[in-house]
Amino acid sequence: MKTLDRHYLLRHRDVPGIDTLQGYEADGGYSGLKKALAEFEPDAIVDLVKASGLRGRGGAGFPTGLKWSFLAKDGRPRALVVNADEGEPGTFKDRELIEHNPHQLIEGMLIASYATRSPESFIYIRGEFLHGHEVLQRAIAEATERGYLGDRVLGTDFSHHMYLYRGAGAYICGEESALLESLEGRRGNPRLKPPFPAVAGVYGLPTVVNNVETIANLPPLILNGAEWHRQWGTEKSPGLKVMSVSGHVTRPGNYEVPLDATLRELVEMAGGVRTGHQVKAVIPGGSSMPLLPAGQLDTPIDYESLVQAGSMLGSGGCIVMDDSTCIVAAVARVVRFYRDESCGKCTPCREGTYWMTDVLDRLEGGQGELGDLDTLLDVADNINGKAFCPLGDASVGFMVSAIRNFRDEFVEHITGRTCPLGARLYDTVNY
Amino acid sequence: MVVDAAATVGIDIPVYCYHQALGPLGACRICLVEIEKMPKLMTACTTAATDGMVVHTQSQAAEKGRRGILEFLLINHPLDCPICDKGGECFLQDYVFQYGAGQARFEEAKIQRHKEYPVSPYILVDQERCVLCQRCVRFMGEYVGEEELLMDGRGVHTVITNVPGIPLTSPFSGNVIDLCPVGALLSEPYHYRARPWNIEREDTYCSQCPVGCSSSVTGRDGQVVRLEGRPTPGQWGWLCDHGRFTYDFGAHPTRLTEARLDGEPVTVGRAAQVLGQRLAAVVREHGPDAVAVLTGGSHTVEDHYALRRFADEVLGGSRAGLVKPVEADLPLALLGTFAELDQSDTVLLLGTDPYESAPVVHLALRENVRRRGLVVKALGDRHLLRDTLAGEEWVVEPGGMAAALAAATAGVSEHPDARLAAEGLAPADESLVRLGQALMEPGALTVLWDGREQDLAPALVALARARGEHPTRVLPTFGPRNWLAAARVGIPTDYETSRRILMDAADGRIQVLLLWGADPVRDFPDGDLAARALERCPEVYFGGVFPPDGAELLAGVLPTAAWAEEAGTYVNMEGRLQTGRGAASAPGQARPTRNILQAVARAYGTPLRKLDEWDPYEGTVDDRLVLPPLEGSVRPVSPPPAAESGFRLISGLEVALTHDPSEVAARTKEDRPARMHPADLADLGLLTGSGPVELSSGDRSFRVGVRGDPRIPRGRVFVPRGLRGVPINRLGGIAVAVRAVEEVASR
Ligand SMILES: Cc1cc2nc3c(=O)[nH]c(=O)nc-3n(C[C@H](O)[C@H](O)[C@H](O)COP(=O)(O)O)c2cc1C
Ligand code: SF4
Ligand code: SF4
Ligand code: SF4
Ligand code: FES
Repeated sequence: MKTLDRHYLLRHRDVPGIDTLQGYEADGGYSGLKKALAEFEPDAIVDLVKASGLRGRGGAGFPTGLKWSFLAKDGRPRALVVNADEGEPGTFKDRELIEHNPHQLIEGMLIASYATRSPESFIYIRGEFLHGHEVLQRAIAEATERGYLGDRVLGTDFSHHMYLYRGAGAYICGEESALLESLEGRRGNPRLKPPFPAVAGVYGLPTVVNNVETIANLPPLILNGAEWHRQWGTEKSPGLKVMSVSGHVTRPGNYEVPLDATLRELVEMAGGVRTGHQVKAVIPGGSSMPLLPAGQLDTPIDYESLVQAGSMLGSGGCIVMDDSTCIVAAVARVVRFYRDESCGKCTPCREGTYWMTDVLDRLEGGQGELGDLDTLLDVADNINGKAFCPLGDASVGFMVSAIRNFRDEFVEHITGRTCPLGARLYDTVNY
Repeated sequence: MVVDAAATVGIDIPVYCYHQALGPLGACRICLVEIEKMPKLMTACTTAATDGMVVHTQSQAAEKGRRGILEFLLINHPLDCPICDKGGECFLQDYVFQYGAGQARFEEAKIQRHKEYPVSPYILVDQERCVLCQRCVRFMGEYVGEEELLMDGRGVHTVITNVPGIPLTSPFSGNVIDLCPVGALLSEPYHYRARPWNIEREDTYCSQCPVGCSSSVTGRDGQVVRLEGRPTPGQWGWLCDHGRFTYDFGAHPTRLTEARLDGEPVTVGRAAQVLGQRLAAVVREHGPDAVAVLTGGSHTVEDHYALRRFADEVLGGSRAGLVKPVEADLPLALLGTFAELDQSDTVLLLGTDPYESAPVVHLALRENVRRRGLVVKALGDRHLLRDTLAGEEWVVEPGGMAAALAAATAGVSEHPDARLAAEGLAPADESLVRLGQALMEPGALTVLWDGREQDLAPALVALARARGEHPTRVLPTFGPRNWLAAARVGIPTDYETSRRILMDAADGRIQVLLLWGADPVRDFPDGDLAARALERCPEVYFGGVFPPDGAELLAGVLPTAAWAEEAGTYVNMEGRLQTGRGAASAPGQARPTRNILQAVARAYGTPLRKLDEWDPYEGTVDDRLVLPPLEGSVRPVSPPPAAESGFRLISGLEVALTHDPSEVAARTKEDRPARMHPADLADLGLLTGSGPVELSSGDRSFRVGVRGDPRIPRGRVFVPRGLRGVPINRLGGIAVAVRAVEEVASR
């Protein structure tokens, strides 16, 4: 891992006051936009982003430039939608970017909108991010006043309007098509694809949906070029990533690292686990991803290596569990989350998460039977790959990996009729 | 899609959420199949079939996937089958039986939800039985465009419900009962009424309007207990609620079940005998012209055939005619079809709002608007378009539609007939020229017309001729339901024939008038003439299902069998023959028309021969009437009546109000049938937006409930035709005085 001279995304960590327009401009803010407008044709930016190898930071890791080039070219106006719903448990990077470095997001959106020829853009922000919403409102007002937003941006032919929309607290509304439904005022259920958003997205217009962090990468990328971006990470996963490290570490928080950092390096940056404890397992990419046991800590976090190791980078929410963790309780809690967040559209996710939650609660409370484990795995198999959207698969990844790696612990809960670690998930908090 | 491709080769892939009319959704996942070269199972309803694709519906993976989905659907499903209305006709039962696991593994608690929860006076939802396929929600919200059902809650707590406190009112809501693949949406009137093994379920066609929707009638113990939509090739099987819930009319308390002579009950045999003898005596003395027959166009083709032969062969050539509620005659050569409507480049609503007059045609139009962007045009004496059927409309003075159409045509066409029809009319203004241009567009034109304004017939013929080779088709939205049955057997259907018969009856030239299902005092556009005819004609006999207005003047009554009480053929507004079967028995002494007429003929002394050997389909093409060529000359259209002071009366036909008497459909029957602009109501002092008013013209007046409707232009009052107790056909002119009156407390 190459060490960073400074932060490029979490820039506020180095430069105080950057959350205001004045502070941001003082640090060279909006020069990326000016350069884009002055020196680039829109398509040239798409080419630059393609060349940089930048991949989406929202979870799927889809190449950003390629996504932009899929936009329908039939003369209809396009739209950019920024996914600021950040609902994945263990992930809190977009929140920091929004609250502390909002203008970099706005500048990135302007560059992306110019590149994709979108006269309008939308930020769909998670309803719970009340403070982030206020920060963005203020930042948009500042940018509008200064002429970065509105008709004829900075006196050029490019006009752009930006809208901020608050979600109402559903995890599924982070999935891009459910987000679009919700943005249009309907129930947040995922849409059938095709048509993909690039053909029929928000209000039926060709639409790009990008994550906050993806977009925040654009201003430094325009200023420094594709090669600069490629100096970090790997051939297929170049660049920097903000990783949210949480769980049993002494300094939980966001860490901006090159994409070839290893999980062990991340845990160490976050202060390691409490003295006297060992890492038991790590979920590298948010609760939707399978866990990796301590033995795999040396896996680099690039997209390919994590897939090879049996998990995924996802949104970069790295949850560290030390040896005091009851894995059964952790699984029961995570699966319950997916039961509560299932949108209800498709049968396997809606009913399967309910079933698994009930069985896991029983198991966790010492009321399980040995047959339950096979039932759980079979129910998971009946969900996996059969649900309408990836949330279904997400609900089983962690559980299946936990049963595979820690089967004994599940069996002990059943045979011992209680938790060997003395943990009890719901005896104080009644959900 | 793969499901459809599989169906064409006879392979059944189970579906819940998929419905061709609604398009793919991909929600239920029951249709999982294995497709070679695809990494995971695919839903057959969302995957387009492509050349060379290899699909396995019975591979191990496909079977496990499907079994898993069924198991999931069952975990929160109640063990209700033995008491569920759908038991035996349920796709959850069927699929679990066919594809499910034998053993349940789920041992946790099931979620409890609302059962028998009324979302409308007709529909109950059992949320526990719902598989959340969304067919109902999508049908109402997307297909009909009336978002009255919705999904509430999230995840496993999602339920189907109405907007809190607002029951469904759409006239298409009943279709969700048919669409629901399980026992979650139930017909309240059918609830706990029957089980699949103790009913007769027969193919039929709805009897309540000339659309003639294909349906299934359910009979139990000789009574009709349900009507359901029945999909046929090219038709989705939708019904409107007016048709669906009027199925019980045969058992209505006002139904005729006994014969009468001079008001006294007698047997049908006796009544037939007396009628036969009377007819014989009259014809012997005065000749066949002293007898006339008027049909009301509700009996079957077979019945009309018997009636026609009775007039010709028994009576020796007595006149026959049709009583219909409109004054104009459709040139049959122009009669169109629904298939042509679906292909039409232009559609014109002429005086008619099909949502009211032919509801399921409204759905067909809406589908065309959604599917291919059809822009509907409308010409009327009120606003005919709706939010769910947007387009372009021309609202003209009452009585001015014919003049507008003729002027519009002549405004853009040099055709001599177009000129002739518009002779003496003011030339088209800019707006009418635009209408003319729209109507002269190349391609096919279909006109929906409710048969008002006699001069619209020549105006339509002129338009058709002016359009030349581009097809012009007319779909008549007026009733009665089976008036084209008269055309099928050669009974004249024109206004003039029946008017002459009534004049002769009123003038004493007719000794015996035989009304067969006809209610001229209520329906005939000249109600005064009809009333005079009934009063002055020495003997009026009536055969039918419900007593007509003026029943006290009848010399005799013969109760006939009704729809669904015997097999019979109907002709719908396309001129298509439709044979429905019986599922119930005629109550009391009611007998099929053919049997009664035969008994009368015997008493007359001239029995009808080989009545039952006739085939209504003989000589038809594709089950459709053979249409005459378009001939005859066009006459100039009269200018619209001059504007007068006061309110102007306009009218139309509404199935919701004119369907047969029904105790079930009475649940939602509107008791304020007239409509006015809300601002006019406010001016009258009816500040609540509805109330009773008195309409008067000259020395005539009647009272009617009126409600606000912004689609009625100011200064006009809309009163539907053919309503019992609302004698709009006896007011005379179109200028009326309207005055609010005190509500009369009903006892
Ligand atoms: C259940 C689910 C939840 C998601 N939540 C988020 C989210 O909160 N934020 C986000 O950026 N992407 C989320 N995504 C991914 C988005 O669907 C989409 O891929 C992403 O916003 C695209 O942006 P990117 O290409 O910049 O990564 C989610 C996906 C799924 C299936
Ligand atoms: S998997 Fe199905 S139920 Fe779950 S969130 Fe996606 S669409 Fe909704
Ligand atoms: S919906 Fe079907 S499976 Fe459910 S109770 Fe009714 S008949 Fe049985
Ligand atoms: S009520 Fe019936 S039609 Fe509606 S979603 Fe449920 S199962 Fe489907
Ligand atoms: S029928 Fe295919 S997903 Fe429902």
